[in-house]
Amino acid sequence: MADYPLISIIIFLPIIAGLLTYPASKASKSGARLFALGVSIIELCLVLYTYAEILSKGTGAQYNFVEGPFAWIPAFRGIDYYVGIDGLSSPLLLISALLTVLVIVSSKDLISERQGTYYSLTLLFEGFIMGAYSSLNMILFYVFWDIMLIPIFFFIGIWGGQKRKYAAMKFLLFTFVAGVFILLAFISIYTLVPGNTFNIPELVGKIPLTLQPLLALLFFIGFGIKLPAVPFHSWLPDAQVQAPAVVAVLLAGLFKTGSYGFVRFNLGLLPDASAQFSWAFIAFGIATMFYGAIAAVVQKDIKKMIALTSISHMGFVLVGAFSGTVVGISGAIFEMFTHAASIGVMFILAGYLYEFRGTTDITVIKGLKFTSPRFATFLVLGSMAAMGLPLFSSFLAEYLVILGAVQANLIYAVIVLIPVIIVAYLLWMVRRTVMTQPEVAAKHHDIGTVQTVTLIVYFIPLLATLIVPWLLLGVTDPLAESLVRMLPQR
Amino acid sequence: MDIPVILIGTLAGAGLLLPALDIAIDTKTNRTFSAYFTSFVIAISLALVLLSATSVIPISEPVAPRLLQNDLMGLVFSIIVLSVSLMVALSSIDYMRDEPNASVYYSLLLFASLGMVILSFAADLLMIFVAWELMGIPTFILAGYRKKDLNSNEAAMKFFLLGALSTGVLLYGISILFGLTGSTNLSTVSTALSTLDAGMIPMFAFSAILLIAGLGLKLSIVPFHMWIPDAYEGAPTTVSTLLSAGTKKAGFIAAIRILAVAFPLLKLDLTISLAVIALATMTLGNLAALTQKSMTRLLAYSSIAQAGYMIVGLAVPSNLGLTGLLYHSFNHALMQGVAFLAAAMISSRFSKTSLEPYGGLSRSMPLTSFSLAVALLGLAGLPPLSGFWSKFILFTAAVDGNLIWLAFAGLLNSALSLGYYGLIVKRIYVDEPSSKEKVHEPAGFALLLLAASIIVIITGIYPAPIYDLTQKAVLAFTP
Repeated sequence: MADYPLISIIIFLPIIAGLLTYPASKASKSGARLFALGVSIIELCLVLYTYAEILSKGTGAQYNFVEGPFAWIPAFRGIDYYVGIDGLSSPLLLISALLTVLVIVSSKDLISERQGTYYSLTLLFEGFIMGAYSSLNMILFYVFWDIMLIPIFFFIGIWGGQKRKYAAMKFLLFTFVAGVFILLAFISIYTLVPGNTFNIPELVGKIPLTLQPLLALLFFIGFGIKLPAVPFHSWLPDAQVQAPAVVAVLLAGLFKTGSYGFVRFNLGLLPDASAQFSWAFIAFGIATMFYGAIAAVVQKDIKKMIALTSISHMGFVLVGAFSGTVVGISGAIFEMFTHAASIGVMFILAGYLYEFRGTTDITVIKGLKFTSPRFATFLVLGSMAAMGLPLFSSFLAEYLVILGAVQANLIYAVIVLIPVIIVAYLLWMVRRTVMTQPEVAAKHHDIGTVQTVTLIVYFIPLLATLIVPWLLLGVTDPLAESLVRMLPQR
Repeated sequence: MDIPVILIGTLAGAGLLLPALDIAIDTKTNRTFSAYFTSFVIAISLALVLLSATSVIPISEPVAPRLLQNDLMGLVFSIIVLSVSLMVALSSIDYMRDEPNASVYYSLLLFASLGMVILSFAADLLMIFVAWELMGIPTFILAGYRKKDLNSNEAAMKFFLLGALSTGVLLYGISILFGLTGSTNLSTVSTALSTLDAGMIPMFAFSAILLIAGLGLKLSIVPFHMWIPDAYEGAPTTVSTLLSAGTKKAGFIAAIRILAVAFPLLKLDLTISLAVIALATMTLGNLAALTQKSMTRLLAYSSIAQAGYMIVGLAVPSNLGLTGLLYHSFNHALMQGVAFLAAAMISSRFSKTSLEPYGGLSRSMPLTSFSLAVALLGLAGLPPLSGFWSKFILFTAAVDGNLIWLAFAGLLNSALSLGYYGLIVKRIYVDEPSSKEKVHEPAGFALLLLAASIIVIITGIYPAPIYDLTQKAVLAFTP
């Protein structure tokens, strides 16, 4: 199988299938859904294969399944089609492919309008995200980064909530501006670094010290908007709250190009600046964590609470990545992985809740324990995953990040407070919505078998990587070690 | 054979023949006849140019005693302006259906195209001037073509007065240059300028300012942009397309030839002044476009902003910058053409130019909506549409030429422009339609828009051929 251009298939299979889904949906709507489901399952199998290959060979530190570089514009040196995956991209590909399958399954109940367009865009989005994670050329990365805005813009704008138009425009502009900073950094690297290339592997260790601080700043603003890090976070709650639940899963779970960019570009290309300014990055990370967690406490809307929790988790990624230790970096990638699953399941639950009760207001919803016992169970489990209790591997991810941060500097130990806050408000939420008496008129609603199975699937990676952490660390540790080796020794 | 000469023969012949045929042929079939005849002639010319640009590597050879230069640069610009003319001619079949004197309209269109083509090849200041007028005068008339429409009259008047002024200023600049060098031929001028007496430099700077001002009126650069929105809004929208996508590009080739041939040999450094002009033009264009309530005005201001990006390519004195300018001229002509023509179709269907009909347009006019959305996102520079690549080349050239602030400003401006381009796309696809009824989309017109927008997508995914062509043109131009 190694002879096939596997990564290209992973990127372009969903894109081509997505383009075909729209005309196909004219003939049959459920046909389009099943087609999309089939494609996403094939995609998952392909990604699983690549993941297993990297895991079993322990080659997370290098690029695997490399294709290229093939010149895209031969007359313009450096713009190439060049793809491959390593210990950073491979777990992200895996969780993205898995979530896409789950989202398509769940969409049956949660999306009723313009289904053809919806499934078409979902597959396109999956393809673009796969492309962004596996690009080894900066321009290729940027192309995927920017084109991704289109499906999400339509997701929020067409299927979103009340303020969807506002949220969609805000999302579009914020992310495009983020792209501006990143593109400027890419162009500067191209013109100012000897060798005139956009290929990431060729640039590792080549960027002069004098240039690194400026580039680090540009990348920080660009990826910080996308992550989002405080103070660039204001688009995310709008986007995730207005987006329909399934799209919020895609946004939270797949759209991790911000945290990906920090590890790939800041750590990978600018090790000296990353070490020198690690305190600043970590400070922003800690601010992000505290902001997300504290702001979530006072939320009345479950979706907004989850969105802010998501921001808080992103702070963990930032702190872990810039701790400069193997456990910290591994923990950051681990956190991206578990965050996708745990926040994903919470958003799906919020979507079902809206279907049952017509609201996601915590103060209004009461007695889920009685009216929807199955659902309530999952809500408790999901909250446990989101708060990082040791039943799920979110615990492990947070533990690794904290460990890495403490290894770097004891002051950073302040972040152990974060899980405490998150536990507090999620438990409070559960107490108010699940553990109360229902109103007399409340109807009995609960999720069906198919939904139960899909929800269980979300927890499988979370459980599996807690029991056998090697499943993930076997891929990420070699990468983290190679990144740490590049950092200047303290 | 010499392509420029053939083109002059074909276009001028057809332009002269058309009113004569009008008398010979029955007036009932006449209207569509002139349209198809014109489209056919332009298509033939375009095919000839394309053939000559791609088949052989044209040698930069002077034709017609050094008045015209048959080089790849001229061919590329001919491709651009003829494509625009073709789009305008084809779309006029539907848009100008009810207007009288069709043969005159198309004849003028042919003459304007002829002027643009000659301008693409002109290598002599006098030839540039003649072509400038040949391009200008038909467009003045075309802008006022709807003689009972006050807006159209106002547009024509404003355009004519400022056009005449620009011609005068340009001619003044040329005459001073002639006085300094004793020649109007660009290569002779540049040789003579390199040995110019130091005392004459202020005189030369004065003529440079006059030339830039004269060209700038047509290029719609700040501060010579005031007439653009009024003229584009009042003129029939197909004519606005010609002005924005066509004659402006022809203005750029004149600017390239004059500035790039005559000026680098001097001690006069225009980089900073052009960079400032570029910055002012794009920022003002984008900011003004954000607040517009009428689609044609919005596109007019966006067209000003796009001229700002192109000036970046002139400001950076490198091959890369010039390539970017050429490349962006091509992309902009195509995308702006689609956007304007789509706006023309929409405004003629709903008989209003405001942004109101765009709400939920994707339901009532799916093909037009798709083409318009592609064109607008391309103009905003969203990859992988072709507009991204040319902007990318322009800004790379700016960073390369130590103008990183200009690249940053340009990129931020792209984000700013997404504010209004994205707003239109949002209206089209996200907003609720006012009525669910399908609106008739004339097949030919819709197909034209769709074809052009597919070219935008394809050349965006595979940009190599066009980039190669423009790069070759630039390399052949500056040995």
